[in-house]
Amino acid sequence: MNLNEAQRRLRWGVFIILVGVAILLTILDNTGNLDAVLRFVQDPLATITGWTAARADSVADLTTGPRDLDTARDEIARLQAEVDVLERENEELREIQGEYQLLLDLFNRARQQPEFTRLTASVIGRDTSPSLRSIIIDKGSDDGVVVGMPVESARGLVGQVFRTTANSAQIVLVTDNASSIPARLGNSRATGLLRGGGLGGSTSIDWVDLTSQIEVGEVALTSGLGGKFPQDIVIGRVIEVDRREAELFQRAIVQPAVEFDALEIVFVITSFRPVDTEIFTNPPGG
Amino acid sequence: MSSTIYLALPVMLALAVLQTAVLPRFPILGMVPQLPLLVALAWGLLRGINEGIVWAFIGGLCLDLFSVAPLGTTALAFMLAITAVTWIENAFPTSRFFLPVVMAALATLIYLFIYLLLLRLLGQPIDLQTVAKLSPTALLHSALILPIYWIMHLLDQLFRPRPIKI
Repeated sequence: MNLNEAQRRLRWGVFIILVGVAILLTILDNTGNLDAVLRFVQDPLATITGWTAARADSVADLTTGPRDLDTARDEIARLQAEVDVLERENEELREIQGEYQLLLDLFNRARQQPEFTRLTASVIGRDTSPSLRSIIIDKGSDDGVVVGMPVESARGLVGQVFRTTANSAQIVLVTDNASSIPARLGNSRATGLLRGGGLGGSTSIDWVDLTSQIEVGEVALTSGLGGKFPQDIVIGRVIEVDRREAELFQRAIVQPAVEFDALEIVFVITSFRPVDTEIFTNPPGG
Repeated sequence: MSSTIYLALPVMLALAVLQTAVLPRFPILGMVPQLPLLVALAWGLLRGINEGIVWAFIGGLCLDLFSVAPLGTTALAFMLAITAVTWIENAFPTSRFFLPVVMAALATLIYLFIYLLLLRLLGQPIDLQTVAKLSPTALLHSALILPIYWIMHLLDQLFRPRPIKI
């Protein structure tokens, strides 16, 4: 066996071993068998990422405006926060108006929304995948964050906790392709399934009954069906209705209320525990 | 090869942190480049396919630590892309300018195809719109590969064993 032959064999050996390891890791992670190892590795990385993200924020602030405009920028930020709160109040008021119109007020008062405990967290990273939509926050299992907890911002629903480490958590955004959340529309009371559009598409509420009269501008909220999210969290607003008489269902395109690219602070709803509905999928006695 | 594996780990970890915490805040024409892919490609072109594959593997794993994608998917896509382009490298004229530019575009397209296919196989609803939206990244990578290739060339000079006169 000459040197070239040996090198060629070594090359293919390395390639086959590494591909095998990568496939094995993918299978192990996909079946949830690497969670403990990942937590161990991701914890120190989250600290480094948090530190780096804070420095990047400072640089980003410097590049977006001169320093002598600091006061004006603070004022703008304060006003923007007020606008966010007012917009949210406005959307909540529209929601209440819709309930009055349908004479469901009395029933809804009986099951008033409980006061949820919220944990404030900073966004310290974004998904490194070009096609997936998730963020990393600086709060983890040590702070009481549990997989499945809903996450919102001042403007509305952000997503759901996917994975936690001691001091960080990954949140899958509602705009991710794999995201599907039971949703309801404010005025028409139509229900459907909110699906993320991913990178190329738009977020939409699918499987809406054709008999429902959806209007552009309606507020989309979480319906609470399925027990994975609390009800009445603002998701966004309907910007287009895709209604074809030949089909059984219609579809509402939704503009999310949250600007996901500009997210810096989020709230994890820690007092809400997702309901495990798996039991209902098993046949009785099975 | 063994000496640069110890170099690959810190370099790729640092790049992955940059990729998650810094680059999304400064998108270029709305796109975020995949620096670890370009670095692994440049290293592979400079030091050969063996080292390129190892760097791609480490870079992919580091990226997957900051993603909701299953661990290993990016590593697999990176390795296959870099193997494919270094395999066909000889078909192109040897040029320090032309070769990396073409290789970067090709590697990006192959990587995206394999990565999205893997995600699809693992149950992620990836559609054609996503593919179309990501394709221009190949052009961005073609533009970015030259400065990266140059930096990696300097690093290569630094770590390459020097001849000793006896």
